[in-house]
Amino acid sequence: MGEETAALLRVLIHKIDNTTFGHNAPTIPQWNGPPHTIVQVQAMLYASLAASLLSAFLAMLGKQWLNQYTSTDIRGTAIERSKNRQRKLDGIVAWYFNYVIESLSLMLQGALLLLGCALTCYLWEINITIAFVILGVTSSGVLFYIFIIAAGATSESCPYQTPGSHAICYLRRVLHSAASAIAPAFGNAFRRSRIAKTIKWYQWCRSNNARPSVKTMVLGVPSAFAIDVYHLGRVLIWPLTVPLVSLACGAANWLCGASSTTDQRLDQQTTMLELRCISWMLQISLDKAIHLSTLEHLATMTVFTGFDPTLIADCFNTFVSCIRVGVNNHEVVIVQGSEQLAMLSAQCFFNTTSHLLVTDPTSNFLKDMRQRYIKIFPAQVKFHGHQSYHTMQAAHCLFVRRQERRSFQWSDYKPSAHEHTIVAHSLVKVAQFKYWQQLKVPRLILRFALHSLSQDPPPPISVIADCLSIIAIDLGCDISDTGAMVSDERYVRIWQVNTTLTLN
Amino acid sequence: MAEAEDCHLLRSKYKAISAFLPYAVWQAQDGQLGMLGMFFYAIRASRKLKFIWHRTDQHASLLFSKASAHTIVLASPHFRWHSSFAGEDLFQQWAAATSVVLCTEEVTWSVVNTLLQVAHQSNLLPRITIRLWSWLTKWPSLPPICFGRFLGTFPHVVKAVRGLKDIELLKSYLLLVWSEWGPLQSSDEMCTLIHEDFDGVGMGHHRRGLIHRLDHILNQLDQGLVYLQQYNPSLSRYDLHTMEQQYRQLREVLLDVERRMYTPMITLICILTPVEIPRILHSVHQSFSPISILVSWQED
Repeated sequence: MGEETAALLRVLIHKIDNTTFGHNAPTIPQWNGPPHTIVQVQAMLYASLAASLLSAFLAMLGKQWLNQYTSTDIRGTAIERSKNRQRKLDGIVAWYFNYVIESLSLMLQGALLLLGCALTCYLWEINITIAFVILGVTSSGVLFYIFIIAAGATSESCPYQTPGSHAICYLRRVLHSAASAIAPAFGNAFRRSRIAKTIKWYQWCRSNNARPSVKTMVLGVPSAFAIDVYHLGRVLIWPLTVPLVSLACGAANWLCGASSTTDQRLDQQTTMLELRCISWMLQISLDKAIHLSTLEHLATMTVFTGFDPTLIADCFNTFVSCIRVGVNNHEVVIVQGSEQLAMLSAQCFFNTTSHLLVTDPTSNFLKDMRQRYIKIFPAQVKFHGHQSYHTMQAAHCLFVRRQERRSFQWSDYKPSAHEHTIVAHSLVKVAQFKYWQQLKVPRLILRFALHSLSQDPPPPISVIADCLSIIAIDLGCDISDTGAMVSDERYVRIWQVNTTLTLN
Repeated sequence: MAEAEDCHLLRSKYKAISAFLPYAVWQAQDGQLGMLGMFFYAIRASRKLKFIWHRTDQHASLLFSKASAHTIVLASPHFRWHSSFAGEDLFQQWAAATSVVLCTEEVTWSVVNTLLQVAHQSNLLPRITIRLWSWLTKWPSLPPICFGRFLGTFPHVVKAVRGLKDIELLKSYLLLVWSEWGPLQSSDEMCTLIHEDFDGVGMGHHRRGLIHRLDHILNQLDQGLVYLQQYNPSLSRYDLHTMEQQYRQLREVLLDVERRMYTPMITLICILTPVEIPRILHSVHQSFSPISILVSWQED
C-alpha cells in the first residue's frame, strides 16, 4: 500500500514538473492483488464466519446465564424462593434478555444468508450452472423464511413463529390503533370540511340555475382551506399528543418516585415483586395447595403498590375454577374440597378489584373484566349457602347495576377479625370511589358499616375506623389515614380542621 | 353537620347518620355523650317523620340492651314499632327505661310519642300498663311532626283508652291527639266517645277544656296552609280541609252535649222558687246526671 501511494505521488509530481524524474516518467501502478469479486466474496464469507462465531459465543454465554437463572441460590419457604425467582425474572425482562437470545438466531440466519450470497458470487465467476444451483437453494431458503414470517404474522396459532413475525404483529397493532384513532378524525374533518361545503354550495347554485359569484368562490376557497387545515391539524395532533402526555406522566411519576425516600422505594419494590410473584404462581401452578398458600399470603396484603391488573384475572380464574354455576337457577355451587380456596380467591378478587376501581377507574382491563364477569355471573346469580357469600356478593355489587344489589344482606355476616379488617378496608376504597362518582356511598356499604358497628362485642378497632370512614365519606368529609397499612387512626377533615375519627 | 341546620341535607344523609347510632350508643356507655347528643340534634333538625334508617331496626334489641334508659327513651320514638322487629322484649326494655328515666319535657314527649306508636300495635296494646298510660296526663306538647299522634288516633287505640274508664286520662289523650298538624284517623269514634263518656253535668269542665282546645286548633287552621306548612311541610290542602271538617264536627258534638245537658236544667230553674235554687245548685255539685238531680229534687 505504501509503494502504491509513493508511485501515485511520483505521478503527481511529474505532472507538476516533468523534469523531476528525467526521462523515466512514472506510471500509475497496476492492481496486482486478488480480483474485486474475490474480495467481496471473502468479505461476505468472513462476515458470515464472524457472525457464526459470535452467535456461538453468545449462545454459550446465554447457556451460562440460563444455568444461573435456573440454579437454586436461595433456600427458604416457597414464598421466599418464589420472590427470588420473580426478582430474576424481572431482571430478565428489564434487561431484554429474551431479545438478546433471540438475536442469536437472527445472527445465524444472517450468517447463512451471507454464506449463500458469497458462494453464489464466487461460483458465478467460475461456473454459472453451479452458481444457479446455489442461488436457487439460497433463494428458496429466503423465500421460505419470508413465508414463515408472513404465516406467523397472519395467524397466532401458526407454529412457525419468529421474531420477525412478532415485530410485524406489533407494528400492525400500532398502525391499526393509530389508524382507528385518526380515521374517524379524518371522516369527521371531511364531513365538516369548509371546502367541501363551498364546492357543494357552488354545485347547488348551478343546478338550481342560480348565479354564484365567481369572486365569492375564489375568495371562499383559500379561507375554507385554511380552516380545514387548522381543524385537520388539530384532530391529528390530539392522537399524537396522547402518547406524549402519557410518556410525560410516566416521567413525572418516575421523578416523583425518585424523590420518595429510599425506604419507601424499597417497600414499593418489595410489594411489586410480591404481587408479580403471586400472579405468576397463580398462573403457572395447577396445585391447589400452592394456590391456597399464595392466596392466603395475598389476603394479608393491604397495599397494592405497582399493582398489575392481571392479578385480578388470576384471582377470578381461581375462584371460577372452584365453582359451578347452575344453568337454569343461576345458583353458584362450590366444588367439594375447594371451599377454602373459593373463599380466599373471592376475598382477593374483591380486594384487588376495589383497589383498581379506586386507582384506575377508567381502566380498559376493568371494562374487559366486567364483561367477563357478567358473562359468567349474570345479574340474577345466587351466591347463597357458602362461606364466600358476602365477599362475593360485595364483589358482585361492583359489577352489577344498583337495582340488582337490593337483595343483599349482611345480617348473617360473621367473618373472622382478619377477614373483617380486609373487607372493611376495601369497602372504604369503594365508598370513596363511588362518592367521587355519584356523590353518595352505596347503601350496601352503609349497611355494612351499620352491621359492623352494631356487633356485640364490637369489631376490631381498625374495622370501626373503616366503618366511621365510610359514614364520614357519605357525609362529604375528606378522610386521610396515617399511611399505615391498616391504620387504627383516621382523620376526618371538616372545615379544614383535622379531627380524630377514632380514639384508640 | 347538624350545625348546618339544613333539614334537607340531613334528610338526604339520614342513612349515614343512622349508621352512626350504634357507635354513639357504644360511646355513651363509656360516658361520652357528645355523639349521641349530636345524633338526637340531627333527628330534631331533620324534621323527618322517621329519621332512623329502617335497617337500624334489626339492631334495636342489641342497642336497647347496651344503651342507658335516657337513650332508650329518646331513641325509641324513631324506631319502627310497626315493623316485625318490635317484639315484647323490646317493649319491656322500653317500659323498664320509662320507669327509671328522669322526667323532662323532651323525655315526656318521647315517651308519649312511643306510647301511642306502641298502642297501635295490636300485639303490644294489651301489654301497656296503666302506669304507662298515665304518661298521657303529663300533657307534653308533641312536635308538629309526630308519628305517634298519627298512629294514636286509630279506632282501636281510642277504644283501648276508653276501656281504661279513666275520664282524666281520656281527656288528656284527646287533648294530645287533637292538633292542627294532621287529620284524625277516627273522628266518628271520637264523636261517639264524647256522646257517651262526656255527657252529664259533672263533665262540664272537661267539655269546656276540650272545646277550648278545639277552638285553639280551629284558630290555627284558619291561619291557612302556608302558615302550617312552615312547621309541617307534609301537610296538604286536602289534610287542611279534612281537619277543618273533623274538628268542627267534634266541636259541634261537644256543644250539642253541652246544650243537651243544660236545657232541662234551665227549664227547671225557671219554674223553681228562689229558695229552692241554692239547693238545686248544691245537688249539681253532688251528682253527675240530670236524672239524679231531678230525683233528689222530687224527694225533697
